[in-house]
Amino acid sequence: MAEVTRGEVVVRVFDVIGTSLAVSSDDGQKVYEKIAPLLHQGQKVRLSFDKIETIISAFLNAAVGQLYGEFSEEKVRDLFNVQEMSPEDLALLKRVVDNAKLYFDNRKEFDQAWRDEVGGQQ
Amino acid sequence: MIHKLGPLNNNREGFESLAELWSLASLLVSRSLELDFSMCSSLDGNMAAPLGALLAIVADKLNRTEIVAVQVAIENSLRRNQFLTNYGYPTLEAGPTILPFQSFQLTEERLFGEYLKQHLPGKGFPQLTEGAGKVFQQSVFEIFQNAVAHSDSKLGVFVCGQFFPNELRLNLTISDPGVGICNKVRAFLGKKDLPSEEAIQWALAGGHTTRTGKRPGGVGLKFMLDFVKRNRGNIQIVSGDSVYSASAGYDKLHSGLPGTTVNFEVNTADTQSYHEPDVAPENIF
Repeated sequence: MAEVTRGEVVVRVFDVIGTSLAVSSDDGQKVYEKIAPLLHQGQKVRLSFDKIETIISAFLNAAVGQLYGEFSEEKVRDLFNVQEMSPEDLALLKRVVDNAKLYFDNRKEFDQAWRDEVGGQQ
Repeated sequence: MIHKLGPLNNNREGFESLAELWSLASLLVSRSLELDFSMCSSLDGNMAAPLGALLAIVADKLNRTEIVAVQVAIENSLRRNQFLTNYGYPTLEAGPTILPFQSFQLTEERLFGEYLKQHLPGKGFPQLTEGAGKVFQQSVFEIFQNAVAHSDSKLGVFVCGQFFPNELRLNLTISDPGVGICNKVRAFLGKKDLPSEEAIQWALAGGHTTRTGKRPGGVGLKFMLDFVKRNRGNIQIVSGDSVYSASAGYDKLHSGLPGTTVNFEVNTADTQSYHEPDVAPENIF
């Protein structure tokens, strides 16, 4: 499930979720639960998508996006990386990461602005 | 109760037929519903998904449904996609244009993956470029996952698809008889009178999610809409009394429908590569 290469722990998504389809939030959660404790220990982590055929945002939100609610951007940038993703999947990951940063930075203000816009109550 | 069902095509009128059915059938408890297809003069096979979702609620309220007077061509279509199997009609061989009617529990994401793997090839694939096919599949999974995360549907998710080879389009419909995208948004925003149209509009905007936990959301529907635009396909989202169509905007039904239906139309003549420019992983975080 995980191996240490040049000081980095490689977490293989396929080994964690047991399928080539990374299409569920719950499976993303399983991956997050492997990564987060390692980052808490200050361990560098590389997430491998080898053998993964399909990846969607719901999976990435849980596995990776969620990290920004727990760790600073600097810490994620220093300790976390991915490998064996296609350019298309990397583009999707970038969307997810950009969205997660906004979500955790502005969540309250963003939702309140909408409630104000439609006249709802908090 | 006897109800004569109107035409069921991939348009506002098709959903209007379902809303008319629902306005009566929703009142039934421990009764009998005779669904008469004699006025249903045309039907797109994939519309079996929202019809199946409605009838699942009817059955859940201990009603018995009988389907009668189905015109031959429509009967054959609904026997091929196995919709009529549950109503005592023998199944016909599916043929090369059908993704059969099937229901999945919200926990059956992997079974849904197997369903796509088994039934998508040949329905516009591989004519559709590999890149477009991949983004299409991702979009379909996003819709399914949206139902898993937000519908609270105890009766599962209903799926059916139809490939139209002459028109080079594939319709895949995912319908859940759950809480409905509009009600979910209304509850989240604390605005119980928010019109369906505005609720759908809110849900479709990038970055919006009704999630309140630690997992962010709000990327999937935007991803799907971007694909539809680039592919020159279409998407219809039906919830409450609103029908959103990417190609025609918003429209109103005379009465509402339960749950959420997403009707995805992919242009299978799409030859774009969908190759994204390289992004270095180091520049993502």
